[in-house]
Amino acid sequence: MDSASARCRIDIRGLRKSFLAQQGEVVAVDDASFRIGDSEFVALLGPSGCGKSTILNMVATLIAPNGGAIEVDGAAVVPGRPMRQVGYVFQKDTLFPWRTVEDNIGYALELARVPAAERHKRVHEAIHVAGLDGFAKFYPSSLSGGMRQRVSLMRTLITQPEILLMDEPFGALDTHTKLDMHSVLLGLWERTRQTVLFVTHDLGEALTLADRVILLSARPGRVKDDFQVDFPRPRNAVALRETKEYAELFQRIWHSLGEEFARAHEIGAHTT
Amino acid sequence: MSKRAVSTLFWQIAIGVGALATWQWAWDLHERVPWLVPELFDPYFVSKPADIFQQFLRMGCFVSSKGEWTLGTTGAFAACIGKSENNLWIATWVTLKNTLWGFALGVSSGFALGLLLGRSDRLSEIFYPYITAFNSVPRIALAPIIILAFGIGDASKVVTALLVVVFLVFFNTFEGARSVDRDHINAARLLGASEWQVTRTVIVPSTMAWLFASLSPAISFSLIGVIVGEFIGAEHGIGRMIIEAEARGEAAGMMVAVFVLMVVGVILSAGVARLQRWLLRWRPAQGQQV
Repeated sequence: MDSASARCRIDIRGLRKSFLAQQGEVVAVDDASFRIGDSEFVALLGPSGCGKSTILNMVATLIAPNGGAIEVDGAAVVPGRPMRQVGYVFQKDTLFPWRTVEDNIGYALELARVPAAERHKRVHEAIHVAGLDGFAKFYPSSLSGGMRQRVSLMRTLITQPEILLMDEPFGALDTHTKLDMHSVLLGLWERTRQTVLFVTHDLGEALTLADRVILLSARPGRVKDDFQVDFPRPRNAVALRETKEYAELFQRIWHSLGEEFARAHEIGAHTT
Repeated sequence: MSKRAVSTLFWQIAIGVGALATWQWAWDLHERVPWLVPELFDPYFVSKPADIFQQFLRMGCFVSSKGEWTLGTTGAFAACIGKSENNLWIATWVTLKNTLWGFALGVSSGFALGLLLGRSDRLSEIFYPYITAFNSVPRIALAPIIILAFGIGDASKVVTALLVVVFLVFFNTFEGARSVDRDHINAARLLGASEWQVTRTVIVPSTMAWLFASLSPAISFSLIGVIVGEFIGAEHGIGRMIIEAEARGEAAGMMVAVFVLMVVGVILSAGVARLQRWLLRWRPAQGQQV
């Protein structure tokens, strides 16, 4: 897909963010610029501490940038004022522990005062799609990590966001569960085709899911490289990894990424 | 039942029976071996289990003053109850009622205050010295003032209990309101919650978890508040009953009241513990020893 010609959903120009730490000012993101077209699945890849989550959180209005501009659908992003068409999936488990699975998934509909009958119908559809049948009345504390992340995903997807921001959503899961979640996400996304910005430090994950991989440099984060991932869809999260094309692209990006990992090591960045 | 459970039960019963037996018969030994039995066992001070039980039957109107069982005879129970204004039944009911009111009002006002100050740095900054100062006053010291202000009726007991409970709940709620997970708030906002919706659906429920943890001590505190209030001035109540029995030098009567209080306390605590478990059912099961 040629992202330049497609309708631009997210436009980031000269973005800059620094934090005050004990050692003084730490620049997390410096002059990051990229655009994301409609229905594009973009992975933002980089070593730990390169500021990729910071960029995502600035797009999500959770953090205010120090410089540069972010536009979503042509409108400037205002910190603290989330946009209706944007959904966000956290890395950390942020399910409300006092709500059952169905009440967590239906939360946004409850806020929007969707009538109970319709809410129930949509929530149970989502539960079915996520493969959580029979768990509607369970509390998050009695679910596995993978199931909790599926609930999180559905809690966001039920609002039908046109743009989905995901912050290493599967980062805390074991390899097997992660692959499982890739299949779930691919299945969902290939039907609905939202615009996705997906932060990860896992190259395999980025290649499995995304149409495009934006590689960030070690801190301060800048866009270092931009790769198209043209594997055909629908994709099979497991079979894809056996193909020659996957191996070749993996090698190419791995080389570039390796340099940044080495640099990140020198900086001694341990935080994201 | 495991072997260990059987052995535990055995020891529990043995200790209970042993203690009661010592209480009942130790004083009989006092004549012969005075050095073995301390003066504390004098029935004048502590009565004896058998006498206490007899007194309990009389005070509860299970037997009439003549020593006859009332329950088989028509009207005898009612007649006995009607004779005394502060009988065991009325006293227990009044104490229980005031305890529950003090608990309910103390918990709700403590929660409201804790939430308000916990979520507002400005207010907590301003009120900090006052809260510290009031908290340093032993609440029981206020009881005579409260009786003076609210009279010897139920209101003064409820207010005393409320004051004892409110700070406990306030501090718990305050801590809870300050430690609401920022990510939960962010998640709610990103899912479209307004400020008020964030308060209602995230801050209140997650603070509730802290509130619930304070319910068990709160009910015990409430009972203490009511009893102290009744000591100082009351028409009805178990506390009043203890004071009356003391004035008459009736150790058995005091012991009956204390025994009834113990039962009331156990029932209230068990009820609150149940309520707490149900309210916190979403919590992961604690690693309890089985």
